[in-house]
Amino acid sequence: MVLSVEGLSKTYSRRGDAPVHAVSDMSLSLDAGEIYAFLGPNGAGKTTTIKMIAGLVHPDSGDVQICGYSVLRKRRDALSHVGAVLEGSRNLYWRMTAMENFLYWGGLRGLPRLEVRKRGAELLEIFGLAQKRKDTLQKMSRGMQQRVAICTALLHHPKLLLLDEPTLGLDLEASDSVQEVVRGLANDSGTAILLTTHQMDVAQALARRVCIVREGRIVLEGETSVVLETFSTGSYTVELAEPVAPSRQTELTELGALWLSPASLRVSANQDRPIHEWLQHLDGYRIVRVELEGMDLGRVFRQVTMKEASS
Amino acid sequence: MTQARALLAEFYMALVQLRRYPTESISQLVGLTVLFYGLFLGASYMSGNPLLGHRLSDIIVSYGLWTLCLGAVANIGHEIGNEAQNGTLEQVFLIPLGGGRIFLYRGIAQLVSQVILTSVVILIISLITRHHLSFSALDLVPMAMASLSAMGVGYLVASVTLLFKRSGQLLSIVQFILLFFIMIPFSSFHGWLIDVTIFVPLGPMIASLKQMMVDGHGLLTVHGWFWWGFVNVALWLGIGYLVFLKTSRKAARLGVLGHY
Repeated sequence: MVLSVEGLSKTYSRRGDAPVHAVSDMSLSLDAGEIYAFLGPNGAGKTTTIKMIAGLVHPDSGDVQICGYSVLRKRRDALSHVGAVLEGSRNLYWRMTAMENFLYWGGLRGLPRLEVRKRGAELLEIFGLAQKRKDTLQKMSRGMQQRVAICTALLHHPKLLLLDEPTLGLDLEASDSVQEVVRGLANDSGTAILLTTHQMDVAQALARRVCIVREGRIVLEGETSVVLETFSTGSYTVELAEPVAPSRQTELTELGALWLSPASLRVSANQDRPIHEWLQHLDGYRIVRVELEGMDLGRVFRQVTMKEASS
Repeated sequence: MTQARALLAEFYMALVQLRRYPTESISQLVGLTVLFYGLFLGASYMSGNPLLGHRLSDIIVSYGLWTLCLGAVANIGHEIGNEAQNGTLEQVFLIPLGGGRIFLYRGIAQLVSQVILTSVVILIISLITRHHLSFSALDLVPMAMASLSAMGVGYLVASVTLLFKRSGQLLSIVQFILLFFIMIPFSSFHGWLIDVTIFVPLGPMIASLKQMMVDGHGLLTVHGWFWWGFVNVALWLGIGYLVFLKTSRKAARLGVLGHY
């Protein structure tokens, strides 16, 4: 196991203000090569959790172990396995080029200059930035800066990569390229990746497991596919080869069918009335298509967070 | 090896900035030269006749020492403020070596650049005024030690910056305290005042420098001030570093490390 978080809690107390419970009893784990998406509305505790994992914020209780080393007690060993790109545009020095940043940050990590140059050139090639190696970061687009920041975080071959909102503010093309890079990292080099994002499509496209947090607590966690299946509404769209007779339409409407056209309808299947029972009502008509309406993470997120807010 | 590479990385960054933005360094050089030259002219005007010999050297070297120490006190805090404003401070603290060590190396790199800059300025002043300053390379030793002691005070200032991200007011007070220290005639103290001087930031180094420059003593014959200088450096650098480490932990507990 690359990352193990056990019972992490953090409360911020400001003089004169009520204490804010940023994170409460948070536990999670990550294996090598796994992408884990950490989702939640603003102020849910995502960034605080990621900073506690990186040792930048100390928890009130609980522990974080990276490759078996506690971030609190064996900080140096634990952090040697971590690379991070934190939220916000600046993770590097903009007045320096990509390679100069690599040499500086690699040097601080104790990497030999020759090794950094080789690894840096390799990463720039993989990330499609080879032609930009001599440009200072301030001359690069936001997407390129983000990719250079990820390259820098990968110089020392970390086993755990923390990405806080990696695609925030990027255009579609840049966002796609960052996603491609993240997927490649997990698949090819077995890096465990923990990412926070507001972009549900990004989480759905990348993460094998997702976790939704609200007010510092995990309210839903599981494999992305299982979560989507669990929250599926059971709505099916049925398309027929020819229009249905008005009498049959009325009969089905009374049962709850919604007509999109005389030859297509939407039905809600459930335990009381499964889909095959609906289809029996259409006996004699040639069915062209039956499709289960897909659930997306955005809808799951809204359902979960709204339900939690009202309870 | 990691430590050496980290120190080299800081020198590398200073060099990259110098190469990429030479105008900044040149304007700093010109500014300092003009300031020192003004000091030279001012001192001549005040005394009514051109200053010669040791007296002028004292003024220039004292002022050089003051700028060096001021830089050493201000650099770490200034860097932390800048890094917090730019958003790179948390990345620095993510490095296994830790922020304390990285800022120490950065401080050393900046100190070396500043020693070079100050030496060049003093050389230019000598050339412009056609005046030989009685300044030997050995004088740089107590100056460098004084800067290290000042760096300890710099860590204390940086600790405040780490928590509040502002240190401007504090630095403006500290620069006058430093100037006051440099003016104190530590080398002529007797009795218990000597014991106090050992523990005053920069105290033994200022005493050494004055005895070397004014009384013509050698580095090792300055009545033990040189050796007490090591105690002073260890004390202030140690206190400053420990307070900084403790404050870093407090900032992490409060969750304000990356705030600005």
